[in-house]
Amino acid sequence: MQNKVLVAMSGGVDSSVALIKILEMGYDPIGVTMKLWDYKDVGGKSLPDSNCCSVGAINNAKLVCDKFSVPHYTIDFTKVFLEKVVKNFSDEYLSGRTPNPCVRCNSFVKWDAFLQQAEELGASKIATGHYAKIIKNNNNYSLAKGSDSRKDQAYVLWGIPRGTLNKTIFPLGDMTKNEVRKIAIQNRLETAHVPESMDICFVADNNYSRFLNDFSNDKVSKINQGEIKNSKGEILGQHTGYHNYTIGQRKGLGLSMPQPNYVNKIDAKTNTIVIGEKTELLKNSCSISQVNWLKENIKFPLKVSAQIRYNSKEVDALVSINKHNAIDVKFEKPQLAITPGQSIVFYDNNTVLGGGIISKICS
Amino acid sequence: MKRIYCDIAATTPLDPQVNDFMIEIQKTIFGNASSIHMEGQQAKAIIEKSRLQVSKALSCKSEEIIFTTGGSESNNMVLKSILNGGDHFITTSYEHPSIKNVIPYLENNGVQVTVINPNKDGLIDKSDIENNILKNTKLISVMFVNNELGTINSIKEIARLCKQNNILFHTDAVQAFGKINIDLDETPIDFLSISAHKLYGPKGIGVLFIREGNVMHPLVHGGSQEKKLRAGTENTPAIGGLGLASEITSSNIEKNILLIKKLEKKLLDNLSSANIIFSINGLNRIPGLLNLTFPGIEGQNLLLLLDIAGISISYGSACGSGSVSASKVLLNLGLSEEEAKSSVRISIGKTHTLNQIDVLSKNLINIISKKQHNTQIYAE
Repeated sequence: MQNKVLVAMSGGVDSSVALIKILEMGYDPIGVTMKLWDYKDVGGKSLPDSNCCSVGAINNAKLVCDKFSVPHYTIDFTKVFLEKVVKNFSDEYLSGRTPNPCVRCNSFVKWDAFLQQAEELGASKIATGHYAKIIKNNNNYSLAKGSDSRKDQAYVLWGIPRGTLNKTIFPLGDMTKNEVRKIAIQNRLETAHVPESMDICFVADNNYSRFLNDFSNDKVSKINQGEIKNSKGEILGQHTGYHNYTIGQRKGLGLSMPQPNYVNKIDAKTNTIVIGEKTELLKNSCSISQVNWLKENIKFPLKVSAQIRYNSKEVDALVSINKHNAIDVKFEKPQLAITPGQSIVFYDNNTVLGGGIISKICS
Repeated sequence: MKRIYCDIAATTPLDPQVNDFMIEIQKTIFGNASSIHMEGQQAKAIIEKSRLQVSKALSCKSEEIIFTTGGSESNNMVLKSILNGGDHFITTSYEHPSIKNVIPYLENNGVQVTVINPNKDGLIDKSDIENNILKNTKLISVMFVNNELGTINSIKEIARLCKQNNILFHTDAVQAFGKINIDLDETPIDFLSISAHKLYGPKGIGVLFIREGNVMHPLVHGGSQEKKLRAGTENTPAIGGLGLASEITSSNIEKNILLIKKLEKKLLDNLSSANIIFSINGLNRIPGLLNLTFPGIEGQNLLLLLDIAGISISYGSACGSGSVSASKVLLNLGLSEEEAKSSVRISIGKTHTLNQIDVLSKNLINIISKKQHNTQIYAE
């Protein structure tokens, strides 16, 4: 029983190759496709088979498992996904924040409900096709970046409970995407040429406004046009509804200004968008919430390398506890467009120390 | 690992005799049954012999048998052929999807539909049907044996009620044929659907019995096969296999019932003596089809754990993507969501042995007792 591993199979190339690697490591895998959502529940046009949760993707995962005589099951996780991920996504946008649903899916669905499912099936570990590593040092486990710096996904894993690290295998941690594709082609996997999925899985058309309108129509339909102001409070124009904007956005403001202007603040309560020039968007510090540490014995103030959004460059920062017992992050250099709702992740070189959700921009 | 397949209500393995016969037909008889030459005549003979075998098994005339691709086609054909706008149709809420999902189509065409729920024992009360008969009720369709519960409806009485009221009666007998005696000579059924793959025959072939005198329309128009009711060159090997499977199963019903009852009793005794807490859903069941509720157990996990251990059972209703949800039939009977989620279907048949039932029991007990008692009773 100790050798059983539940492999999360999306029907894409990464998880397919993860399965091959798990077999090579000598584990006894069970392939599971997590059914996370239905188009009919979250709206949007049906898209080709390359998308997660489609019948085509599930069948692809089945074919790959069948090739290696591995059992495959599709298990319904739509309820927890809807509750923990999709609803939060909508609520956050409607609060004027910019969420990262992949982070929550990892924290609350994969490294919670899926892990529980593994235990129910007598599997002691789970494996996924994430580009990240679990480093074991004596009996301490830590999360680290994947070797392929362009594909690294450690950023979206900061929120998984520390106690799950020893139950997790990332078979692709040492590999590059090119190597993964190569293995898929060598093994003639049905999934070898499945294109990369870049969008949020439940907003496959990448049209957030459309999604919010479908999913939370009662709330969205009440959001009217509002004012676009500058930092002095001068009204510069009208916007189509605050939920259609993100911090740092430049295009689509419908204003003609001598200097490029960016969305600097979204105020859901007053339905106001505040814009400013680039220099106004540079901020030195922020407060964070929902903090999760993946290392023991964290002591403050803590020097870290911080990443404020997926794919952004890391910057040196100091993490400390403020007088309200909340956690503040002070950056060594001012950061552009720090966005409430986004994840901030702290590293020590390649090791993930922890992270949190940006709640307030300070100065 | 030799697997133990306990899902014979879903489909059955091919009877080896049927398999041999079909291979022989595939090899030697390739003619088109509509052709006049010898090859055509050989194919025609296979088909007509099969028709005789099926009609004998059902105690009806061979002219009353037409071959279809299975239960779904037979069910569709009756409903779509008989019912027109303005007609009233009575059926039940626990029919196979090939009846249930035709309802929106019928309603779109102006057919008035009444759906009757089974009682808590999983049976359709004759009085519920009687009370819903209207002046324009043209057809009533009630399944013979329910596929999830194995409950046997009093088809003879319902058929007689229909006759008295001059209403056509159809029954989906896919789960019944070969497991209980069906005598069309003494039961006034107008239409009856059968599928070969539930009786150790091939997939993709079935039967629609149409009592003499009823006028039907084809779903598939074309050539004049099957009295112009089902166009398309006949699937000779499958039809041959169906005929033989019908003969074998129907002539061994009593023997099989005895064996399967013994196997079923063994399973239930094993569970009881291991103090497993369970209940059987449905009364008046065919032997071998057990819908069991195990309190405290997730049916889906039980299925998966058994599958990994080499044993196949069934849980809930599958959807297109292969994920499953709790059985709607059980919810209809009044089980709570939690009870429905704790229920699985185990179906055993003539191919099982007492030894296999012991292995099944041992695995069930091993998984369930851990959860129900927090202790492991069977040590490996």
